[in-house]
Amino acid sequence: MTTIVVVDNGGQFTHLEGRALDDIGVETGIVENATPPDGIDADGIVLSGGPDIDERGRSGEYLDADVPVLGICLGMQIIADEYGGAVGAGEYGGYADVTVDIDDETDPLVGSLAPETRVWASHADQVTALPDGFDRTATSDVCGIEAMSDTERGLYGVQWHPEVAHTERGEELFANFRAICESDD
Amino acid sequence: MVEVEQFIDEAIAEIDEQVGDADAIIALSGGVDSSVAAALAYEALGDQLTPVYVDTGLMRKGETEQVEETFSYMEGLRIVDAHERFLDELSGVTDPEEKRAIVGERFIREFEREAREADAEYLVQGTIYPDRIESEGGIKSHHNVGGLPEVVDFSGIVEPVRELYKDEVREVARALDLDALVAERMPFPGPGLAVRVLGEVTEEKLQVAREATHIVEEELEEYDPWQALAAVIGKATGVKGDNRVHGWVVSVRAVESRDGMTARAQELDWATLQRLQSRITGSLENVSRVVYDVTHKPPATIEYE
Repeated sequence: MTTIVVVDNGGQFTHLEGRALDDIGVETGIVENATPPDGIDADGIVLSGGPDIDERGRSGEYLDADVPVLGICLGMQIIADEYGGAVGAGEYGGYADVTVDIDDETDPLVGSLAPETRVWASHADQVTALPDGFDRTATSDVCGIEAMSDTERGLYGVQWHPEVAHTERGEELFANFRAICESDD
Repeated sequence: MVEVEQFIDEAIAEIDEQVGDADAIIALSGGVDSSVAAALAYEALGDQLTPVYVDTGLMRKGETEQVEETFSYMEGLRIVDAHERFLDELSGVTDPEEKRAIVGERFIREFEREAREADAEYLVQGTIYPDRIESEGGIKSHHNVGGLPEVVDFSGIVEPVRELYKDEVREVARALDLDALVAERMPFPGPGLAVRVLGEVTEEKLQVAREATHIVEEELEEYDPWQALAAVIGKATGVKGDNRVHGWVVSVRAVESRDGMTARAQELDWATLQRLQSRITGSLENVSRVVYDVTHKPPATIEYE
């Protein structure tokens, strides 16, 4: 069975990420972000959202763990920050429902959601400049970089919350991430 | 999703193991969470269990009578009229977190007294998962989590539905054959109407929130909201029958949700909104305005405080 571990950065919805993975039949567990990377044995890692990028714990170290990583909300911002991208306040925050345009329909994470998808968001900050090696894969009126991928390194981020009930096709995104983890060797 | 039958068996076994031969007391609020916790505890403990319902004076219209009827099958059921004690302690308090803490503290004190009389060592509560995350995250304290006093006079607290979401609790309720009225009941916050009146809690504001919430629940039945309510949010000028009225502003809220973690404000048609406004201002002479809250969660929460 495929195992995907959720790293908790103190987000309100972290438990729902566990629930969403459980709902699609993935073996899952939630671990604190202080957990040593070698203590995690998984086929993929989800970095949860959270209130403060300075409380990311050891999140950055999991990016070198050689398994695919999906950063959600703050999790995506952590990935951007670790690889030299920029994170800052958006023109205005993104809350509740947002229509996201998918840029790249071949992207393994969000491509199947093309051309657009309705999502639920909750963020004041966002990724304002892509890190090296990443492509922007989705955008919206309220947030320029809604999703990004580096398929070479297996690193993915979405600014919205695929785990909450009000995001349409959130489960599909998790299933896509599972497929990424399963094809990664 | 929770495996309902397996969950029920395990929960009953766990309660049995934790409480053993001791006596327990359960806090019934009339809502689905504590009702499920009570039904599970009753299965596990039978007459070792004393179900207690505290009428805080912060309850919805008809709630006390309904609880009395639904749980009359449990022999030891006690109904406590603590109405005046709650209102006394809330008098003059305006800070939302302080209000929640006072209600939580008073709840526990009421239970402690009942527990001593019943010789109970364990307290059973219907805390569910979102109560805990919102409290741990500092977003809102819940009466059965954040308001819990440091020193509690029980050997232990039993929370059989602590890992479940609301939709899962409802599934368990149906499997336990709980009264449909209870299983499908709209969520109601632990601190009750105290958090549906902004600022100080007074009899007058409670009366407005109670009647208006009743009207909202009735009028919006066809929309099947996950939760619908009316809150008293301030005062504003109005004119009724040629007389100026400086009356209460009632905010109506109706949301759809799966688990309470996110919520969408419902799209109500104009005729419905107007009927709500007309019934509320027409039957409550001290209400001058009715507004409809269009904010989703996030950025708002479902309740007001």
